[in-house]
Amino acid sequence: MSSILVKNEARLGLKLVAPAVGIIGLLVIYPILFNVYLSFFDVQLNGSKTFVGLDNYTDLLGNPRYYHSIGVSVIYLIGTVVGTTVLGLAASILMNQEFRFRNLARGLILLPYFAPVISVVFGWQFIFDPVNGIYNHVVVDVLHLTDTRENLIGNPDSALFVVILFDIWKHFPIAYLLFLAKLQSVPKDLYEAAAIDGQNAWGRFWHVTLPELRFVIATVVLLRIIWNLNRFEDVYLLAPNVETLPIFTYYQAFAGIVDQGGAAAISVIQLLVLVGLIWLYVRKVLKW
Amino acid sequence: MSSVILRNVNKSYGNLPIVKNLNLEVKDGEFVVLVGPSGCGKSTTLRMVAGLEDITQGDIQIGQRAINDLPPHKRNIAMVFQNYALYPHMSVRENIVFGLKKSGADAETIKQKLADVSEMLKLDDYLDRKPADLSGGQRQRVAMGRALARDADVYLFDEPLSNLDAKLRHHMRSEIARIQHQYNMTAIYVTHDQIEAMTLGDRVVVMRDGIVEQVGTPMDIYLQPTNTFVATFIGSPAMNLFEATIDGDDLVFDQYRIPASKIANVDLHDLGSHDTVLVGIRPDFFEDSALSSPSDNLFEFNDIQVDLVENLGFDKEIMFKLGGEDAKARLDLRSHVKRQEHISLSVDLNRVLLFDTSPQGMLINAGEV
Ligand SMILES: Nc1ncnc2c1ncn2[C@@H]1O[C@H](COP(=O)(O)OP(=O)(O)O)[C@@H](O)[C@H]1O
Ligand SMILES: [Mg+2]
Repeated sequence: MSSILVKNEARLGLKLVAPAVGIIGLLVIYPILFNVYLSFFDVQLNGSKTFVGLDNYTDLLGNPRYYHSIGVSVIYLIGTVVGTTVLGLAASILMNQEFRFRNLARGLILLPYFAPVISVVFGWQFIFDPVNGIYNHVVVDVLHLTDTRENLIGNPDSALFVVILFDIWKHFPIAYLLFLAKLQSVPKDLYEAAAIDGQNAWGRFWHVTLPELRFVIATVVLLRIIWNLNRFEDVYLLAPNVETLPIFTYYQAFAGIVDQGGAAAISVIQLLVLVGLIWLYVRKVLKW
Repeated sequence: MSSVILRNVNKSYGNLPIVKNLNLEVKDGEFVVLVGPSGCGKSTTLRMVAGLEDITQGDIQIGQRAINDLPPHKRNIAMVFQNYALYPHMSVRENIVFGLKKSGADAETIKQKLADVSEMLKLDDYLDRKPADLSGGQRQRVAMGRALARDADVYLFDEPLSNLDAKLRHHMRSEIARIQHQYNMTAIYVTHDQIEAMTLGDRVVVMRDGIVEQVGTPMDIYLQPTNTFVATFIGSPAMNLFEATIDGDDLVFDQYRIPASKIANVDLHDLGSHDTVLVGIRPDFFEDSALSSPSDNLFEFNDIQVDLVENLGFDKEIMFKLGGEDAKARLDLRSHVKRQEHISLSVDLNRVLLFDTSPQGMLINAGEV
């Protein structure tokens, strides 16, 4: 494109985003700044604040529960990001093949993504219910894999994996959708050229599909990291005993000994980490 | 290198036959060109050889191997696609050596081939670029390079020059011819451009609607087209066809009576079984009578009114009416004909072809070329 056109478009772009920037400024920037401000105070429920300097931060960094929740969050992030990406990729490749009822199947795959969290969470809790759940019924009564009925959601260690599984199930369709859209635009003759060049199906996937999907995969991974670093409702509703960072923050801020200043300190650190991650990612991985 | 044999090859999509009972043998080291109008099944035929389309019926053999059930990656063929199909994320260098690497060539061979190919196709300055940063002509050369770098049994080309401008197309045409001879490649080349077909092919296969109309050397096809389709498809401007009635031993149209006995390879007895025939005269075989030296076998069309003269440099093309049809002649630059003039045109009757008036329009006076 000629540079005049680029400039014109940039100017139009600025005009178009200006109102949004204003609103975002109010709704996002202000709370962030207020949050940073709060993190230097001891905040009482009645609203009175005392300046405590870096106390909130030092307290936090001396709190083993904080490190535990970081560990949980890291496992949760790796599990869900890898899981949704791989499952989404597999589903999109499958749905890109020709077969009967393909359009129906393509639609059905999206269902978990559209279903309201609150209703599917109850479904999942029921599946893993120690007394009446299907999971225990199948594992213990049908397959006889073990004798003891497990409360998978009750135990925080196993609940973490249920929560990861739930997130993969619920969110792989968005990855699938993005991958499928891109797959459909990969020129067919690239596959043909690769076949002529001696590549079998696996080689064609490796040398054509993956490189073509590179940016979409990177985008999906980035989005999933951002979403899931902050993910609250899915985890809290399904298994509130899984203490990822957002859950830990919530307990800090609103449960037991209410400590909004401490919670603010957590979110400030989390924000910094997130911004750093995104910066690194955009510069090094996406090379945009 | 290997020969390629297609035996009774058929291809249908659903119930729709696209390629019908095609037989062709491409000899080791031979350059065969498939030519025909768009949609006649050339690409489909080529893609069956490549393994990109399955064969509905019949057999294809490369060398001694029956390849019907062999997937493309096991056929050891190289192919140049019409839209080049370069790998966008790979540099020119990686594109060129991609297939070679896969075939298990050692590092030294790869280096040597890359150097050869990039020198031959003048790609040395672009080896580190991505396809997106190349012009159409450069991309075309990379696509050629990717195929030529391979040590394949057969090289397939699907209209590789059709996206280039005229000058570049001409240049690449000569390059392909030179490279093919240098490497003695077995090649099947698809084009709808009859000039490419005539200049490149050791043999040319003319197709129409999934059927092979004629196979032969370019000269065979030019001088002895088996029917009116081939006669008018090959050659530019197209061959003139005039319907003539048969009166004794003469072919009659307008005020002209052409003595059939002077036309090559005519069986007068057989001719008597027709009421009418089509007389085919290539524009190139007309001469300005003012310039032709009289000879026994020349027939003169006198009193021709010139409707239009187009000067093409060395030749000029003139348009006129003959036998109730628009006709064309190509005369050389010494001729001074002008628009609206009345002139005489001569034709060597040895060069005149006769076709029957059946829908196929079969050549009547087939003979030695
Ligand atoms: N996948 C397909 N399904 C149905 N018809 C097809 C398909 N591919 C090609 N055809 C038809 O087959 C005919 C021959 O196509 P093609 O071999 O590409 O012709 P060309 O001689 O121009 O290369 C065309 O009429 C085309 O419409
Ligand atoms: Mg074609």
